[in-house]
Amino acid sequence: MAAHKKVAEILSSIRENGRRELLEHESKKVLAAWEIPTTRVELARDAAEAVKAARELKYPVVMKISSPNIIHKSDAGGVKVGLSSEMEVRQAFKEVVDNARAYRPKAKILGVTIQEYVPHAREVIVGALQDPTFGATVMFGLGGVWVEALKDVSFRLAPLTADDAREMISEIKGYPILGGIRGEPAADIDAIVDVLQKVGQLAYEFPEISEMDINPLFVFDKGKGAIAVDARIILEEES
Amino acid sequence: MAWEGIKAIFEPKSVLLVGATGIKERPGVISPALFTSMISNMSSSYKGKINVLDLSGRLSGAIKNLKDVPKKQDLAVLTAPPELALKGIGKLVGRGIKAIILPAGGYNDLQLEQLFRATVKRGVRVLGPNASMGVLNTENGLCTAFERGLIPVRGKVALISQDSDLGAAMLDWACFHGIGLSKFASFGDKVDVDEVDLLNYLAQDDDTGAICIYMEWIDEGRKFTDAIREASKRKPVSILRGTGKGTGRDEIFDAALKQAGAIRAKNIEDLFNSGIALALQPPMRGDRVAIISNAKGPAMLAAGAIERKGLKLAMLSEDVKKTIKSRYPGIDVNNPINMMSAAGAEHYEFTLEKVLADPNVDGVMVINMLRSRILKPADLEVVAKAAKKSKEKPVVDVTVGGEDHVLVRGVLRDRGIPTYDLPEKAAQAMKALYQYWQVREKVSEKR
Repeated sequence: MAAHKKVAEILSSIRENGRRELLEHESKKVLAAWEIPTTRVELARDAAEAVKAARELKYPVVMKISSPNIIHKSDAGGVKVGLSSEMEVRQAFKEVVDNARAYRPKAKILGVTIQEYVPHAREVIVGALQDPTFGATVMFGLGGVWVEALKDVSFRLAPLTADDAREMISEIKGYPILGGIRGEPAADIDAIVDVLQKVGQLAYEFPEISEMDINPLFVFDKGKGAIAVDARIILEEES
Repeated sequence: MAWEGIKAIFEPKSVLLVGATGIKERPGVISPALFTSMISNMSSSYKGKINVLDLSGRLSGAIKNLKDVPKKQDLAVLTAPPELALKGIGKLVGRGIKAIILPAGGYNDLQLEQLFRATVKRGVRVLGPNASMGVLNTENGLCTAFERGLIPVRGKVALISQDSDLGAAMLDWACFHGIGLSKFASFGDKVDVDEVDLLNYLAQDDDTGAICIYMEWIDEGRKFTDAIREASKRKPVSILRGTGKGTGRDEIFDAALKQAGAIRAKNIEDLFNSGIALALQPPMRGDRVAIISNAKGPAMLAAGAIERKGLKLAMLSEDVKKTIKSRYPGIDVNNPINMMSAAGAEHYEFTLEKVLADPNVDGVMVINMLRSRILKPADLEVVAKAAKKSKEKPVVDVTVGGEDHVLVRGVLRDRGIPTYDLPEKAAQAMKALYQYWQVREKVSEKR
């Protein structure tokens, strides 16, 4: 219940701002309140704040542009990873902001987010939407090309039982990749199950979340968990 | 009252057929000829009491005036076009009718509203308008279809069709292929009774062993999936979907059906083939299938089909193999079991009984070839006899061919054994039986 209240507060503050789309750090605040593991993140409006945030989160860090007008941050040259000193952070801040301005001159730029760095792992996507017929629905797929080119995704209505979640993971065609092929250890399926159930519950309890996705969710080897690396939440239009 | 109305649609003690023989024939209107054909269909099949009301007052022997309609008829089938129907419907309701079927369509929004106020609001259940195939109940002979009497043999499969034309086609199919049905309904424009009501009714209907549904789209998604989940606790629900014109996302609808426990059929044939197995046989508690045959070729085809459907060929236990071998040394006891061409009734009975008792076996496909064999259709009664002893494991029967299959079906269908003319169809049916076991395990868990 405490989690519900926290999320409701975040969402209504976005509304008060006159916005429907949550920025990355705001979306992650929602995930964290809902106990979905997510990378720690701080908004920094200038280079000095960026340095302070990086120190708090501990080097190395990741920097991403923060703008309501830029969704594909990498395309805008707005992402830097593995920054490991104050100098690198200051330099990156300038570059990231310059790149974003060049990419979309009219974009409103709030600054950057400084994020905890996590080692690379298998990428999956967990999403939710409000279907006009069925209401809160959860989507699952492997990251990148699997979803975009092959439409290899599965759906279930929220809320999900653990069995529902397991079924939707195992029914995608790319499932063997998670099971571990060519001697690779298996991915932490239980951690994905947990995230799917939590995302389902979130979308079910908050029908005003018209769309959300965690893309990517990094999934580590069995027993080592999963973590949301990027997230996006969109609220329904106010009637 | 609401429930009584649904019951009255399928199990009326008395039916009032209402039409107008004086109206002009034109497209979209149920003509006098169709009305009289419905009367003759009903007169020859329905076991309850029939009253006929001719609003034009011409038909001899028919009631000519609404006020002469006997009180408290269970069901009225009102074939008149909207304006005429609406004129009399208030009085009909006043006579204590519990339910009304409206085969004719053509109601505009205002008329629908009028209809709703005159009937549903007053506690009368309505199927339609535009429910042109209406309902069918093989137990009491109720058949409100008017084009021609499409009454399949009595059986345990219930069929619901969102589309009337496809409903008619499926009834035709069921008649032609000797598929036994319990009930049928097509519901048209749903001013009241919808798929959820029908599903709930059929779920508690003791004459129905499995519910087969053809549908395209649904508006109240969650209500429907909840109804499937509830029904699946008691009996299997198999769904064939027509896609492509829905207002929402097909993949979400499909996922929702799967999550709720619906078994998906690939086509009409699969809907019926799986349907008869689901209706007649217990669910299969595992994926290990034994094949018992009197010929090698069909057994090999069956073995391939079993594996393609994701099922496994059972490894028979040594005890069982030894028992069979010691009685009939000529039998090849490695699954698929080949009893050779000399096998007769006693071979089938003994072997099937032993194999069904094997803990390594979850279900059995029996294959019996008649031509150039000594086996006679009547011998196959023993398949039903042996199957009955093992209530927990399903048995399906295959006679590859045409007429031979029909002969065997004649012996086994009424004894509760589903029969097929090809091993692939039987394998698909066994897969459905295994799926239903998994569904039942899932839906009966406490959430």
